[in-house]
Amino acid sequence: MDVDPAVAESVAARVGARFSTSTDELLADPEVDIVAICSPHQFHAEQVIAACRAGKKAVLCEKPFAMSGQEAEAIAAVSAETGVPIIVGAMHTFDPAWLAAEAAWGSLPGQVHTIRSSIVLPPNPRFEDFATEVVGRTPPPGRPQTGPDADAAMLSGGVMGLAIHDLPLVRRFCPDFAQVRVLHAEALAPFGYVLSLQAGDTAIELRAAMNDTWEPDWSFEAIGDDAALRIDFTPSYVQAGSATAWIRTREETTVFGPFGHNGYEGEWRRLAALARGTGTAPSAATLIDDLEFALAIADAAAGRVRPAAAAAAEARA
Amino acid sequence: MSARFLVAAETAVAGTTAAALASLPVSFGPAAGAPDVLAVAGDAGWTGRAAAAIRRGARGVLVVEPVAEDPRAIAAEAADAGAAVALDQAWAGNPVLTAPPAAALDAVAGAMANAVLCDSVAYALPGTAAGTLLTRHLCAVLACGVELSGLRMVRLQPGGYLLAGQLPGGAPVALHGTTTAALPSTARISVLTRTGRTDVTLPEASAAGPADVRTVTADGSTTLPTRFESAHRRSWLRLHAAVDSGNGLDDLERFAAVAALVRNLTG
Repeated sequence: MDVDPAVAESVAARVGARFSTSTDELLADPEVDIVAICSPHQFHAEQVIAACRAGKKAVLCEKPFAMSGQEAEAIAAVSAETGVPIIVGAMHTFDPAWLAAEAAWGSLPGQVHTIRSSIVLPPNPRFEDFATEVVGRTPPPGRPQTGPDADAAMLSGGVMGLAIHDLPLVRRFCPDFAQVRVLHAEALAPFGYVLSLQAGDTAIELRAAMNDTWEPDWSFEAIGDDAALRIDFTPSYVQAGSATAWIRTREETTVFGPFGHNGYEGEWRRLAALARGTGTAPSAATLIDDLEFALAIADAAAGRVRPAAAAAAEARA
Repeated sequence: MSARFLVAAETAVAGTTAAALASLPVSFGPAAGAPDVLAVAGDAGWTGRAAAAIRRGARGVLVVEPVAEDPRAIAAEAADAGAAVALDQAWAGNPVLTAPPAAALDAVAGAMANAVLCDSVAYALPGTAAGTLLTRHLCAVLACGVELSGLRMVRLQPGGYLLAGQLPGGAPVALHGTTTAALPSTARISVLTRTGRTDVTLPEASAAGPADVRTVTADGSTTLPTRFESAHRRSWLRLHAAVDSGNGLDDLERFAAVAALVRNLTG
């Protein structure tokens, strides 16, 4: 389903599916078991709720699955009422290397005092073009004029569009995530961010740069006094296998992966299990906490560079 | 043939000294009496102990991992006495930064020309004071040829810090220090550009593991040849050359600026 009939027909034709321009028509189709929502962010909540109300077997919603805590709670309530499981497309949380490290890390989260996430990515077409055949590519939006508002928009967009991939991972190591503070925020040219956060005793350093490099470099580190986790993720879009994870102590290093599939496929494997009734979905509380964590960082980061926004945020606090 | 100098070492750095000088048997030997050169531990009070050694007649002093102390008085004394003082720092003293060829410095300079971010992280063992780690870290970044301005402390905790600043063109700088026993005590300096990056990873100096210098450009990536020489050994060779030639070293002058900066930042 797409509101543009040409797009809907084109995409459906590739897999021999019927197409529609109507969400209601799609949801009313009894042959549709799973709904994947890839629309612009502002439509996510309404469409997820509608899919749940339609009694589908599972819903995949691209991140972020809502744009406010209230929307997220409304979704969680409908999911609980209808029993329809929801998965948010935070693909790194479904990466088998992450899951293998998680199963093995034992007491690591309790000692982590520092988290680093670094994302350096080439232009998306470098990977999109090997993942599919793109028809009618939308040119990337040009950066608006420089200045505080442009920087604020970049920081907010960077958190909700890029950092959000790893913020659920960050949150696993932050017991005090609800108290997260943005200590420093800067926008990078042409697109990226430098963010320094503090959540309780945990220092969080987030970096991202999207430029014209050919080399993707996407890493996540959780560091404690006696143990540390590092994960190097494969780039987005392409099926390049899983991340590789290392858990290091002074005495040994344990390596996880790389495995044959990545987090995208991991999402769909989980969806298939849910549709068959054999899998479990992340709890609604987890999804809400992940979203509110991201929104808090995005708002505060934008506020660091936009005095008016900062004043408003301070007034709300 | 160059001179052979006799060496003594303070107890705290005797092991480090012996390990480095085992690979320099022609240039240095153990002193039974008054040494030509003294190795001094760089903990608190090193400037006073180094000055005392020069007053006792040492022609050279090597200071291992100095903490931030004002070295201007010792610099003046050394100059008056014609003695050389070398600072032996695991990261800033790595041979990729202190010995020819200057390929690593050239790589960083090339990236600096169109940098969009300098992101650097330094790891040290738990218990390392933040000021000590910051001193080593700043020396390393500056030794790479990265020019810093507008530095300010964003976070300062017992186990680490985050410094923010700018490169000459205005691009952001982030210097992050943290402690862990799970990772090697390395410093990584990454200069991201619009089309690639240069990364310099400096190892600890307890072994002769090489630094890693890698540059990514639109044409591909290049890793500089490895050099299996510890920073300790390279520092001893620098000191030897200075004492032998009578030409001083500028280590103290450069360190004075860092020490002042650390004092200001850590207040």
